[in-house]
Amino acid sequence: MLPTQCPSCHTQLKVKCLKCENCETEVNGTYDLPVLATLPEEQQQFILRFVKNSGSLKEMASELKLSYPTVRNLLNDIIQKIELYER
Amino acid sequence: MKGKDIFRLLMNPYTRIAGLSAFGLGMIFMVLIGFFGAANGVVFDGVLDMHFPGKVTLLNSFLYLAIDLVSLILVMFIAGLFVSKTFRFVDILGTMTLSKAPFLILALVAYFVTVPDMKDILKDPNIIFQSVSFLVILILSLPIIIWNITLIYNAFKVSCDVKGTTLNLNVIYGLLLSEVISKALIYFLIKNSIQLT
Repeated sequence: MLPTQCPSCHTQLKVKCLKCENCETEVNGTYDLPVLATLPEEQQQFILRFVKNSGSLKEMASELKLSYPTVRNLLNDIIQKIELYER
Repeated sequence: MKGKDIFRLLMNPYTRIAGLSAFGLGMIFMVLIGFFGAANGVVFDGVLDMHFPGKVTLLNSFLYLAIDLVSLILVMFIAGLFVSKTFRFVDILGTMTLSKAPFLILALVAYFVTVPDMKDILKDPNIIFQSVSFLVILILSLPIIIWNITLIYNAFKVSCDVKGTTLNLNVIYGLLLSEVISKALIYFLIKNSIQLT
């Protein structure tokens, strides 16, 4: 799993270097992480499931064996985090 | 499933069940509570109330329960409109109905209870301590009511996705208001006009 927070001070990390495995080219700079990569792993998994289920919370609920409002609340938490990040 | 998980499920079943399925299960409990309440001479005349009037008709038992439930659902639904944009009525309906389930224990235990006569209690209040079964149900009613309040709290939390002070205040005010409304409805609809007992 990609580390997104500094292990020392818990600040959001930035991407400093990207490397091509084919030709060994390295791209250096200071890049922001994509929004989805900043979310915890379980929330990223939730988004993947959500997309795979064509955005159907009902299907998500039956797959996860959770109630509909619980799944919707999990989605609300993700929306809140993304909105906070965008601000 | 471990003991801790079972306890968590008993306190908050709504992470697993809500909406129409919770309403269906809750209605099964309501029918049983109404039936055993009438059979064992106990009524739930208020959102958080229980009394032993002696004889209870089946119709009265169900009317009291229906008034309690409608008051609770209406108040919590209106509270939900103020605090949440994404909740569904069917979730409030289902989760609040299921929150009544613990009262089945009291309706069943009431079978073993011998209630001292009210006139005798007024003459000598110490007579209560002579009826062990009455004391047992009095003591048992406390954790049952706490369980019921916990279920109502979690029902509102899961259905409306609210947390913290907003959740606490809405549940407290909602419970108080629904208790007052249910008492008023019982007084005006049953005791004052219909005279069913």
